[in-house]
Amino acid sequence: MIRFEKVTKVYKEVTHALDDVTINIDKGEFVFLVGQSGSGKSTILRLITAEEVPTDGHVHVAGKDLTRISSRRVPYLRRNIGSVFQDFKLLPQKSVYENVAFALEVIGRPKNIINTQVPAILELVGLADKQQNLPNELSGGEQQRVCIARAFVNRPLILLADEPTGNLDPITAQEIMRLLDRINQTGTTVVMATHDQKIVDQMRRRVVALANGKIVRDQQQGVYS
Amino acid sequence: MVVIFDRLGYFFHETWISVRRNLTLTFAAILTVAVGAMLVGLGLMARSASSNALGRWQGGVQFEIFLQPTISGNQIDALGLELRNHPDIERIQFVTQKEAHELLQEILVDEPEVLEEVAPESLPASYRIVPRRTEGELIESLAAQFRQRPGVYSVETGRQQIDAIREWFNSFRWIVLLMSIVLSAASVLLIFNMIRVGMFARRREIEVMKLVGATNSFIRTPFILEGMLHGLAGGIVGAIAAGALRNHVEDLFGKSEILAFFRSFTVSSSQFNTAIFITVILGVVVGAVGSAFAASRFLDV
Repeated sequence: MIRFEKVTKVYKEVTHALDDVTINIDKGEFVFLVGQSGSGKSTILRLITAEEVPTDGHVHVAGKDLTRISSRRVPYLRRNIGSVFQDFKLLPQKSVYENVAFALEVIGRPKNIINTQVPAILELVGLADKQQNLPNELSGGEQQRVCIARAFVNRPLILLADEPTGNLDPITAQEIMRLLDRINQTGTTVVMATHDQKIVDQMRRRVVALANGKIVRDQQQGVYS
Repeated sequence: MVVIFDRLGYFFHETWISVRRNLTLTFAAILTVAVGAMLVGLGLMARSASSNALGRWQGGVQFEIFLQPTISGNQIDALGLELRNHPDIERIQFVTQKEAHELLQEILVDEPEVLEEVAPESLPASYRIVPRRTEGELIESLAAQFRQRPGVYSVETGRQQIDAIREWFNSFRWIVLLMSIVLSAASVLLIFNMIRVGMFARRREIEVMKLVGATNSFIRTPFILEGMLHGLAGGIVGAIAAGALRNHVEDLFGKSEILAFFRSFTVSSSQFNTAIFITVILGVVVGAVGSAFAASRFLDV
């Protein structure tokens, strides 16, 4: 599903964000990316969404070589990828329902599809009764669930999560992890960058550890350190 | 089909929100476009008016001898022969009563009821004269020679006057053109800036749109529509202003004896419509250019 071949990413000709990274992530896997700030976790996620292009090497996502696709095709690639963020990136003036519906509207989905899919996904994340609330009326965990609903409403092949529990208390973080796990069980490939040792140790999934832009450990059913 | 309507609905909704958010800037942009467009409209009308009025003075024609409607064919031929053989005259052109009526038709295209009152037989036929030299004294003396001939109704000269007016109209057109270019450039920049501000205000939305895979054209369309809408509004206001000014000026020419000469400086309704149409289109183009420029500049993937 995701394949990095000898990928190097250099920022401003000095900082090696990624250094000759090769990694293969299969369909349906759940992968933690761990490592200190600046180790290259976020760069991997940004290369997958084609927000960055590699300085060297090739990135393949869903069967496409991202170094070869034209910028016009990038939006269509992103429709296969859902993104979840530490800071949620919800639109403050839109309701929960509108935030999720927005993701379908802007890729041109018809109204009748939106009207059925949005309530279904909000049901799945447990926010059926908060559809009309604004983001600032929700707790952090609820906001993150809206973010996940928005990322997953289009049923993407891949879900990327960048520190999704970074702003949440441990109990809420657990709930979010259960949700991501459920999504993973539908066959969606999940890649999650995190600092949360407890969660990684508890989940026992594949762990890819990075340091200074290199992979230092790649372990099935791994732990944080 | 439903998808298209959903999408159009989305575009207009987004555009409308943006217009409301930026009301003062919107107003400034529309006014600037309006003034620029109005000047273009006036310039176009001035050009039509001057070429309408000066039409018969083209090709070196310096004066025109109008004949009595009652003049006989022999008299016309005799006069024509004399004119043709005159040492100071280069060439002449005969305008029949029918042709005179056709010319009047062009001028009175907006007032058919007036035209109906005028029979072709009541109009004077005329000789248009191109002299060998164009000094004012020569023309005056030639005019005087023929003014008293039997069958001659009147002789109209006016080359110098005409030249002065032609020059005045020309410089008016140039000034208007220059000002409208400057104002159009200002309008483009204002709309550019307005769209940029609008995009900045909605940067979070744009970020999310890009993340979930909205195409660039989908993201840009509401902004470009917004710019075109402002341009259209400005163009319409400008066209209304230009139309009102035209009516006012024609009124002035009609009433004032001092400005009576300008009465032949009229714009036909088709010329007026063309000018108005171009004015409005110019507004839309200015809006589209400014917003498309902003959208392509600030919306890289």
